[in-house]
Amino acid sequence: MTLVKEAPVRPAKKRPAAPVAGRRGRLRENLAGYLFMSPWIAGFLLLTAGPMIASLYYAFTSYNLFTPPKWVGLDNFTTMFQDPRWQKSVEVTLKYVVVATPLKLLLALGVALLLAQKRRGQALYRAAFYMPSLIGASVSVGFVWRALFSDDAVVDRAQKIFGVDVGGWIGNPDYVLYALVALSVWQFGAPMVIFLAGLKQVPQELYEAAEMDGAGPLRRFWNITLPMISPVLFFNVLLESIHAFQVFGSAYVVSDTRCGPADATLVYTCYLYQKGFKEAQMGFASAMAWTLVVAVALVTAVLFWSQKKWVHYEEAAK
Amino acid sequence: MGTSRNVERRTILKAAGATAATLGLAATTGCGGDSGTSADGTVTIRYAWWGGEPRTIAIKKSIALFEKKYPKIKIKPEFTDYEAFWEKFQTQASGGNPPDVFQNAVGFLRKYDKRGVLMDLKAQADAGNLKLDNFRNGVLANGQVDGKQIGIPVGANTMALVIDQKAFKKAGVEAKPGWTWTEYFAALQTIQDKLKIAGDTGYFGIMYLYDLYLRQNGKAFFTETGLGFAEDDVTQWWEDGYKRVKSGLVADPKKIEQAKPKSGLSAGLAASEFTWDNFSIRYEGEGDSDYGLAPIPTTDGKNTGQYLGSLMLSAFSGTKHPKEVAQFIDFMVHDPEVGKIMGYDRGILATTEQYDAFKPADAQNKGVAAYEDQVAKAGVLGKITPHPSGADVIEAAFLRIGAEVAQGKTKPADAAKALFSEAKAAFAG
Repeated sequence: MTLVKEAPVRPAKKRPAAPVAGRRGRLRENLAGYLFMSPWIAGFLLLTAGPMIASLYYAFTSYNLFTPPKWVGLDNFTTMFQDPRWQKSVEVTLKYVVVATPLKLLLALGVALLLAQKRRGQALYRAAFYMPSLIGASVSVGFVWRALFSDDAVVDRAQKIFGVDVGGWIGNPDYVLYALVALSVWQFGAPMVIFLAGLKQVPQELYEAAEMDGAGPLRRFWNITLPMISPVLFFNVLLESIHAFQVFGSAYVVSDTRCGPADATLVYTCYLYQKGFKEAQMGFASAMAWTLVVAVALVTAVLFWSQKKWVHYEEAAK
Repeated sequence: MGTSRNVERRTILKAAGATAATLGLAATTGCGGDSGTSADGTVTIRYAWWGGEPRTIAIKKSIALFEKKYPKIKIKPEFTDYEAFWEKFQTQASGGNPPDVFQNAVGFLRKYDKRGVLMDLKAQADAGNLKLDNFRNGVLANGQVDGKQIGIPVGANTMALVIDQKAFKKAGVEAKPGWTWTEYFAALQTIQDKLKIAGDTGYFGIMYLYDLYLRQNGKAFFTETGLGFAEDDVTQWWEDGYKRVKSGLVADPKKIEQAKPKSGLSAGLAASEFTWDNFSIRYEGEGDSDYGLAPIPTTDGKNTGQYLGSLMLSAFSGTKHPKEVAQFIDFMVHDPEVGKIMGYDRGILATTEQYDAFKPADAQNKGVAAYEDQVAKAGVLGKITPHPSGADVIEAAFLRIGAEVAQGKTKPADAAKALFSEAKAAFAG
């Protein structure tokens, strides 16, 4: 990934030369740096890089955790692509990403626009909207969601007022995924905060000038706000889609650990987990994991490529 | 972990800051977690089980009794629910660090025997540390695989039909011994006509019930190495099931799903449900009707296909304290006091000592005992069919695919095909 053009950064002021002159000084400084980093480096090597390399190897083996892994070449990948449940998990995940990400970002942007205006109790509102993101990942929220969207529960009763009767979302394979989407959208706080920061960066003169030229609020949003915050928007799109690809906890809890009913919430990671930890097919699970890594990398690459067309950086505007 | 650790630790303790680090190191370098022998000769063994809170309370009481009787043996309990238990166990066992003693079931015997995790307890029995006598109704055989005794039953249970007695009475239907499937489904129809509720919560997704049906027809769900039925058999089973969901004889699977963790029966979604007889105790607490046990429908008016299943205790083949492990298992399955504490939580008590010691006082436990007595007297009990390695994966697949059929998401024929292809992979693993 080559992100050379970063979000607007002010040119750093020239600082006087560092007091510790000479090679030895620099060496000592570097050493200190590495020393401070060492917990992180050790953690990275032991907990991230090591397992990743091991999993890359397992992806080409048949490994049931008990007998030593047996090299099978690309077998895991060929069986995976032909596996109807794997196909289903890809389908479910894509559906989730495509629906949940834009909805979440839309809501985040909408609320950020409202909260960017100066009003009394602003801090309170911001905190209130951000709160769900803090507790969102917890298992208990999954249970709460299950309770909210079940048959004859709050959501179901509210729907019935409007004459819609689907009998609860949780047990219905056609709806249950949208309960997960709702859970994700509800946690829009993190992208909202980033949008807020972006909105603050937009120079007020631009709005004033546009207003003088007779541009209405919609026009101003479309021609000023959106282009000006497009780097932030890009960042959020990128982060949120990567997150969405990795959804697991909510699907696992809401569907009572089975990622169903009828595999309706069988998101990619859920199937991966089942294969690895329930069926003890670690080779297959590793192959799935690496396929996900590659897929997410591809999506990221496409997004980076597309940013040329819609992301505006300050230097280009000048 | 060596015996010298205590001495070392005492000196190190002075440097308080270092203690935490040492303990952390000890935990990572020690091979058996906390299982070990301490300086005064006290042995610690780990015991793991799955189950609800009442079981955990009862087992902890039993452990306290054991530790009083054997002061040199300490038991370290580990417990979770069923799903989490086997996920955790698999990881622990593959890392060579499973609990010394653990609860087990027939679906996992061959799987973990094949992987060398289970201890053959015969040697310990020969050494006099564990008694293999006094097991009721030949239930000890449930823990045997290829001539090895790798599980010791703690209880016996059999499949039953749990009925909402009020609903059955109101509809005027009676569940009688020897009734046929046709009569059962006719009863469901009557219940639906008269009470406007479904009769059954979803019989066709239960692997153990389908096993009984197959056994009534001279087959079985499992052979020693694979499946004991054909794709056509299960296609038919699911087609009939789906038809009954559509017609409302069987409860809407969407509602059943949402009632969880409550059962469909106690949630009032249907009037009957097939399950293991010892599970029936939960319904009274969950629902507001009266529940009772009824006989399994038959094909020929006689043979129910039933057998006594059981939960067992198994031991890790690599335990450092085989003698103490055997003594503990012996205590847990034979001690009358333990029988009194445990009751029928894990099925009817497996040994005569415990069975005689526990006299159920409440209607549910009495009902379970009476039911198993009745089944044993009817002479319908067969031998348990062996479960090959991979059976646990197939049970989960059967439940899942059955649910897809019920939801109308998969056609029965495709579902059967999927089950067979998943079974092939599971047996190979």
